[in-house]
Amino acid sequence: MSTGVSIVGAGLSKFGRQPGRSGRELALDAIAAALRDAGLGWPDVQVAFGGSDGSGLADTLVADLGLTGIPFTNVKNGCATGGSALMSAVNAIRSGTAEIALAVGFDKHPRGAFDPRPEDWGLPAAYGEAGLMVTTQFFGIKIARYMREHGISEKTLALVAEKSYRNGSLNPNAWRREPMSAAEIANADMVNDPLTRYMFCSPGEGGAAIIVASDAVAARIGRAVHLLGAAARTRRFGSFEVFSPSIQGVGVPSSVSADAAAAAFAAAGVTPADVDVAQLQDTESGAEIMHLAECGFCEHGEQEAWIAAGETEIGGRLPVNTDGGCIANGEPIGASGLRQVHEIVTQLRGEAGDRQVAEPRIGFTHVYGAPGISACTVLAV
Amino acid sequence: MTSVELGSRGTVWAFTVQRFAPKSPPYVVPEGGFVPFAVGYVELPEGVKVEAVLDCNEFADLEDKAQVTLVATEPVPRFATDKSLENKQ
Repeated sequence: MSTGVSIVGAGLSKFGRQPGRSGRELALDAIAAALRDAGLGWPDVQVAFGGSDGSGLADTLVADLGLTGIPFTNVKNGCATGGSALMSAVNAIRSGTAEIALAVGFDKHPRGAFDPRPEDWGLPAAYGEAGLMVTTQFFGIKIARYMREHGISEKTLALVAEKSYRNGSLNPNAWRREPMSAAEIANADMVNDPLTRYMFCSPGEGGAAIIVASDAVAARIGRAVHLLGAAARTRRFGSFEVFSPSIQGVGVPSSVSADAAAAAFAAAGVTPADVDVAQLQDTESGAEIMHLAECGFCEHGEQEAWIAAGETEIGGRLPVNTDGGCIANGEPIGASGLRQVHEIVTQLRGEAGDRQVAEPRIGFTHVYGAPGISACTVLAV
Repeated sequence: MTSVELGSRGTVWAFTVQRFAPKSPPYVVPEGGFVPFAVGYVELPEGVKVEAVLDCNEFADLEDKAQVTLVATEPVPRFATDKSLENKQ
């Protein structure tokens, strides 16, 4: 099946600390790279969507890009900002409103953990005063429960992060380019048990842009990657998310990632077993492990054997986060979802250099964000 | 909508340890300074898991579906293990 939409251009700014450069400048770098990649100019873009979490309004970029008068909508959806911008761009093409659309995401975060305000999340101020307004706690609690339920070991957590840094070392645009051993990762300072500091991604800096087009225009441009399916979802009853004062209902929590992935696969008419390369939200190494199963690539608990056997490595059964993921690239909130798509486009075109997977045909991206939102795409050449 | 009265006993569903001091504001550092604390979800028989700060003698005491009792509701729910309650008597 096909959505009738293709990706014709993908671009990134440099990722990692860039003193003296603003988040908006990183967005402009990414857009310029995506336009160059597509062989298009800014006047060719007919509609745009984009956002950052804390680095300004995307629609103000027209001051630098050119005042062409197109509709440019700001998107703010936490870690799924890029994914939501892309969904909007895709829907603009599908509706016939435009033939060429841009999605852009960017951010430049200060060092250290995020410090969101409880009031912005519909929570009482006391929640922050008591020290519960800390995103990393959620990830520690979720993987701690998961490890006990499904027999995942602490060693496996370290192996996932080790892979991230190794893949990052093969990616010239990654922030973290030094390989790190599983032992060093496991023995680092504990942040939120069982997760150490090197198992987490860090708030970072970067911009990412994707240009989508109708299949007819894509055929003219060339080097197109087809969007077989895409879906975005918000949480259902009983889910367990960042900043949840409670988990409603009994039994195993529902998963917004499972919902979004299943919808994307259904739209694409393919199954997880058909996927050759995947990008999964890896806010920390446990998230990558859990998302493997939530997105349908394996049964819960199978990750222990998969990772021990190297199945998620470049060269394995399902290479995951071949660019080093959030762990090696950092987390500029607005950009990450589109960085994932950029990597799959790069892999499917065979342009990933030292980290190239052998002749992938179908790729998958999954982004997850607070307070319970996920967006997935299935891409093919 | 109807309200449901929740009991004060439950089991620890899952937890982590906050090893570093959260950013202030909004975090209010307790008198005597920051010490690592446990935070997690307590499963109540009424069909909800409530996020809470968890008092214990040792963090390991919270493993294996530990039974805990509600000891405060402000600023956020707070539950304690039986052993940590014995200590305070």
